[in-house]
Amino acid sequence: MRLIGRGIVLLGAAVVCAAVSNALAGPERKLRWFSSAEATEDRFSSAEAAASKPAPVPATPGGADPPASTAPAMGAPELAPHPDKPWVEISGDQVSALFARGNVPFLDARRTAAYREGHIQGARPFPVWEADVDDRVKAFYAEGHDPNGAIVVYCTGGDCEDSHMLGQKLFFAGFNAVFVYRDGFPDWQKRALPVTKGDKP
Amino acid sequence: MKKAFLSPWLSIRVQFVLAAVFVVAAISKIADPPGFAHQLHNYQLVPGYALNAFALVMPWLELLAGLALFAGLWRRTAAAILAVLLLAFMGALGINLARRHPIDCSCFSTAATQRSDEERLADMKVAILRDIGLLALCAQVLAATRPVTGQLSQRVLSQRGATMSASP
Repeated sequence: MRLIGRGIVLLGAAVVCAAVSNALAGPERKLRWFSSAEATEDRFSSAEAAASKPAPVPATPGGADPPASTAPAMGAPELAPHPDKPWVEISGDQVSALFARGNVPFLDARRTAAYREGHIQGARPFPVWEADVDDRVKAFYAEGHDPNGAIVVYCTGGDCEDSHMLGQKLFFAGFNAVFVYRDGFPDWQKRALPVTKGDKP
Repeated sequence: MKKAFLSPWLSIRVQFVLAAVFVVAAISKIADPPGFAHQLHNYQLVPGYALNAFALVMPWLELLAGLALFAGLWRRTAAAILAVLLLAFMGALGINLARRHPIDCSCFSTAATQRSDEERLADMKVAILRDIGLLALCAQVLAATRPVTGQLSQRVLSQRGATMSASP
């Protein structure tokens, strides 16, 4: 009986310590107590609401799709917007084709420390496990990118799911053309494509 | 034999070993909660809504229980908490081994490793064996600190109480 009581006291102390240390942690070390990754109902409910109202976000209008029209030759069907699913995995060849366009945002889902050690040139840090990722996604949305424009997200390939989680967040923020770089940064390095070190894209 | 197993000499050393292992294990996780949450996510066992809270609190529980054992305070409680944690770790590793899902143990480090699936699976087995050993240490502490009960010990206690009160 006393054992259980003391166990609860120690658990309570652990919760308090965790709360204090997390409150004091810097942005790279902070973790949200309750993940927003599971809050995925928003888009579907708002999409339904939008469908009943006059829709402000046309999914695939007839000819108003600049990426597909500018680059019909390089696998445009696969790189078309996909409002029915959060993300689509693409190969390194397709990623480098998108990179060559020069106007496609690249978002790095890995931890800030890994980003600093080297990232795809021009890619911006969106560390999906750190506490401020939702703010970054909101800020990205607020920049007014085309909801049907391609966005490439990546992490380390293999069984890394960070890019998919970020893709999910972007999809629920309203982006319809999120592409996950299947083989991720290691593949980019293998291809010897441009890499930047440090905090800047 | 039983006396040697339960001796305070042995128990105090066991407590120090347990304390050292869990304090070290806790510090790497406390230093990087997002990294630990990520690895915990890879275990595919903790539901999403509880994942982050779990990742934040569990290392602190390890640390506090380890420190309690080091200080010799609430030793039974601390050993019981560590035993429960160890059983949970073994269960978590065992389930993932059974479904042949290779993961980083995240026992002492939250850094993601670049290893083959075979290496990961082999390390998971080693981690389970290590947990069994640590569980044995917890059992020693629990046995050695068992509160004295039973008629005989009650009598001994009351006698001691009597002598203590007799000699101020």
